[in-house]
Amino acid sequence: MKEYVLLMISAALVNNVILARFLGLCSFMGVTTRIDTAVGMGMATTFVITVSSMADWTVETYLLQPYGLGYLRTVTFILIIAATVQFTEMIVKKVSPPLFQMLGIYLPLITTNCAVLGVALLLVEGKMNFIGATLFAFASSIGYSLVMVIFAGLRERLALAEIPRLFAGPPIGFIVASLLALAFMGFSGMSATS
Amino acid sequence: MGEAVNNTTDFSAPTMVEGTAYVVAVEGNMVWLVPEVGSSCGGCASASACGSKGIGTLAGRLEARRFQLVNDAGLRVGERVVVGIRENALLKASITAYVIPLTTLLSAGALAQWAAGNDTVTMVAMFAGLALGLGLARLGAGRLLVRGELAPRFIRRASAGETCNS
Repeated sequence: MKEYVLLMISAALVNNVILARFLGLCSFMGVTTRIDTAVGMGMATTFVITVSSMADWTVETYLLQPYGLGYLRTVTFILIIAATVQFTEMIVKKVSPPLFQMLGIYLPLITTNCAVLGVALLLVEGKMNFIGATLFAFASSIGYSLVMVIFAGLRERLALAEIPRLFAGPPIGFIVASLLALAFMGFSGMSATS
Repeated sequence: MGEAVNNTTDFSAPTMVEGTAYVVAVEGNMVWLVPEVGSSCGGCASASACGSKGIGTLAGRLEARRFQLVNDAGLRVGERVVVGIRENALLKASITAYVIPLTTLLSAGALAQWAAGNDTVTMVAMFAGLALGLGLARLGAGRLLVRGELAPRFIRRASAGETCNS
């Protein structure tokens, strides 16, 4: 039990997908102008990363490794991610068409989010069991969502602040992102002292 | 859905997330609308590298997201309008669609791992949990729909050149 809790804290905070591994930066800068869109994107990405990682682990363990097909890993994972996004879209549409109208816009963006593929490749490196891999993927995506929401909140405040013309827009966004990354570096002290 | 209403005088008013849409059909007292794509999607300088242009802006995809409104304002085909949903409706919708299935999936997986400690059993339990969660999400979405929380509302006719980013 303790190892799973540590695994999740490590994946969400210490080795944060965005601020420590620099994955998913496109959506990090593109979808964080408002908190509600960041929350919508974060939840959709969490769902897709968790479900696709389950499928990735299964294919890796029962197909790619036993038959020595490791060289097909990246292609296979991309295919699985695209299929998972389509599956999610179909399911949301089937479960509730109004929900699909409201949330469907985020789903195509996830297909091209490198954080999804990055997490899948990281859990292969980690050589975890099924529940460990799923919890790792879930915690990584929670870390992604957390940073998205924090950054969106900061950008909403920045929109009201007086910023020198040269720094307005993306430049001040990147400066804030670097400060946020410095703050998250503090979590790496947890692994050093524990 | 893009910008929120910039309401600087009435802070008690519910915040709405706005988006632009255009009328594609009028049926009696109802109108069918299709959402417009924001100018950031497919219109920006990075569109060819981003991928959203090829995936997110296909006419068929937008057509699939068409929705109905009561035509109280006498809208006609081709007119552009600004529609809105309450800010917390998006949050409720996201929780219903994603958090409920994920919770049941992870709970089922944790229980199975604790009881059996076997990857195959855990896998089966997780997929069963996912199916259960999707069923619960369907019930939750139905409840939100009955309360009218998922329905966009007509706000105003869009002025010339107005987009969800303006």
